Amino acid sequence: MKRLMMVVGLVLVLGVLSVAAQSDPVTITISTWAGVDESAELQVLIDEINASQSDYQIVHQPIPSDYYTQVKTQLAGGTGADLFWMDQNNMALASEGVFLPLDECLAGSAPETAGDLSDYYPGILAVNQFDGATYGLPWIAQPVVLYYNRGLFDAAGVDQPTNDWTWDDFTAAAEALTLDTNGDGEVDQWGFTNNGWPPPFIFVWQSGGEPISADFTTSPIDSPEFVSGFEFYLSTAYNPAMSPSRDVIAEQGFGEMFKAGKIAMFMGGAADDLDRVEGLDVGVVRVPANPDTGSHTTFAWNASTVISANTPNPELACAALVALTEQIHGWKIVSPRISQGTVEHLIEAEPRKEASAENIILAAQDMRALPIFGNYAEWDSLFWSDFWGPLINDETDLTVAELAAEVRPELEETLGN
Amino acid sequence: MDAILATYLPTLVRYVAVMIGLGVLIYVVYKVQIRFGVKREAATGRALVMPWVVGFLIFNVFAIGASLYLSFTDYNLFRAPEWVGTANYSELLDIQIVPLESREQRSSDALPRRYGEVQRVEIGDGGFVIGARDENFWRSMRTTLVYAVITVPLGLIGALGVALLLNQEVKALGIWRVVYYMPAILPAVATALLWRWMFSRSGIINSALAPALSIFGQPPPNWLTDPALILPVFIIVSFWGVFGANSVIFLAALKGIPKELYEVADIDGAGEWKKFRHVTLPMISPALFYNLIVGTIAALQVFEVAAFITVPESVGTFLNWRIFQEAFNFRNMGAASAMSWIMLMLIVALTAMVFRSSSAWVFYQGARDERK
Repeated sequence: MKRLMMVVGLVLVLGVLSVAAQSDPVTITISTWAGVDESAELQVLIDEINASQSDYQIVHQPIPSDYYTQVKTQLAGGTGADLFWMDQNNMALASEGVFLPLDECLAGSAPETAGDLSDYYPGILAVNQFDGATYGLPWIAQPVVLYYNRGLFDAAGVDQPTNDWTWDDFTAAAEALTLDTNGDGEVDQWGFTNNGWPPPFIFVWQSGGEPISADFTTSPIDSPEFVSGFEFYLSTAYNPAMSPSRDVIAEQGFGEMFKAGKIAMFMGGAADDLDRVEGLDVGVVRVPANPDTGSHTTFAWNASTVISANTPNPELACAALVALTEQIHGWKIVSPRISQGTVEHLIEAEPRKEASAENIILAAQDMRALPIFGNYAEWDSLFWSDFWGPLINDETDLTVAELAAEVRPELEETLGN
Repeated sequence: MDAILATYLPTLVRYVAVMIGLGVLIYVVYKVQIRFGVKREAATGRALVMPWVVGFLIFNVFAIGASLYLSFTDYNLFRAPEWVGTANYSELLDIQIVPLESREQRSSDALPRRYGEVQRVEIGDGGFVIGARDENFWRSMRTTLVYAVITVPLGLIGALGVALLLNQEVKALGIWRVVYYMPAILPAVATALLWRWMFSRSGIINSALAPALSIFGQPPPNWLTDPALILPVFIIVSFWGVFGANSVIFLAALKGIPKELYEVADIDGAGEWKKFRHVTLPMISPALFYNLIVGTIAALQVFEVAAFITVPESVGTFLNWRIFQEAFNFRNMGAASAMSWIMLMLIVALTAMVFRSSSAWVFYQGARDERK
């Protein structure tokens, strides 16, 4: 009996090892937050790459729910996939040494390919760089644009937005479009909506302010530029003259109100589906400019693919990363690469955006990403809890400038200086 | 296929290696005991329980010890833990109670900087505000305690009511018992998602209420976003499953009450209420005691429902979910561990209180017989 058990065990182990020995080419795994539909589309790209060469095979391991909890645990434990998707906020993990530096493996990349770092918008690539090294290849940079409901503008006799609009034009239109349309004494249509989204940095940047200095040593939120940009942002949030209250938004839904034709203007990501809502005639322009500076700077949500520092196959993982990123740049909009910043490329990637492609590309020229650094999560948490939150939720009597002066030293403590 | 096989192969290899390792351990433990003269039957038993002991040591004892150590450190998952002494506990327990100069004064203006409002109490023209450095922790503590204080007694009363019904001689009793127990065996995550859908703005509950509310010109309630309604939602959800599991224990206790006691009560002229008060309740008090302890601990450790139904920030989520967020979303493992130990102390204190009070109201038939 004992001998039989030993033989069975030996056969099992040898069988496992023999299968392992035969497993060629090398498997490169990638974890993403993709859901069912997105996974299916991504798999088509992966299949094309796998069929085009024999050195490695990419295997997709989607984690559609609670992605970052699982990924962080895997990275901390030194397990998990070879490649990971990371959004901009989580690129701060690069400072923990859990991602592989890419500069060496990308050094010989051909110009205007996914491995050519000089072809990325510098503001987007910067999110992926720490201490002079690059840790991720961006695969999307989605600028915030202004969606507007043409029908509501025409009905109210208000001129439609243009790419040259300033804050003054925007405010005047938003107020003119805030109406009691059924005459019951209560406003039921609003010119704009703001529940914390869009990010205030759009208006701060346009005013010349910075939440964190370029060298990550100061957090000058009490500068006149920052304060004026933030004040304009606050004037658009829960302001009865142009935007619904938080109760109305909670009751009717944020984006849903625009889709229901109750909001005339909405700032959303360029890839959002707000311009293809059935029954709505929706236009897209870039966000309005600060009238003093003329800046149309906008926020870009961006995400990247990184390589785990624990990958056993760094060279092949890098090759897979470049190949996959190249494919994704032809799938997701907007591509973060300068050479692909064309109307033609955008329409090829997403034909349903043909009508707005020109204005999206225009907006992309002015997009910026968050100033991510190693301790960004703590800075961001404090910025919200002590500054942004109390102001937008009307929980303080202090002015923006007064509160900014109080909070700045605390924010700068998180910078580690 | 090869690629997929290769992906999962390392896991399979590790799994086989663990099995072989545990097999070797069982064998060695058995042989060592035999060598020291332990009887074959006892040695076999101890050897076979070794996998469980190893699992308990690694996944329970080590984890508990590690969390205690981490609660005194600053640890973000990726860097080595840095000893900070009692700083995590000091920050969590840092509470300020500040008087309000007037009803109009904002809590944020009354509290020192870095303190957030936990509870505001207005009395006359003033009042006071309770603030904390980690106001979200205390809001979660408040939500969890209020939830436990309401749901545990209601759950016990409901479960006892169901058990009394199931203890009647009615037709198809077996089917009724299965029906009432079924919620207890459904996955908590699935039921949480189902309740979230039912309470959503366009969910079945609002659809049912809409005709009645429209008569009064009222919009359907926002069950999941209105701070005033979210706790009632959780309390309603808590009844799901609680009746089933607790009812089975109550039912077993009811079945164990000797019929003679009721016959004696009948001879003494006791009515239904007196029989329930003076016979049924004392006889099932051990079951009541057990359900109270288990129910209190469970109510303080709500997780699944909190994970799938988002709570407005001002209300505060449940403590267990808050700990999870602190650990995995914010990567403050040290603070999360400290929160866990504070929660443990709370559970121990409440359980000890219930235990200490039990001599006054729990009746043990065997204990009484022994004293005789």
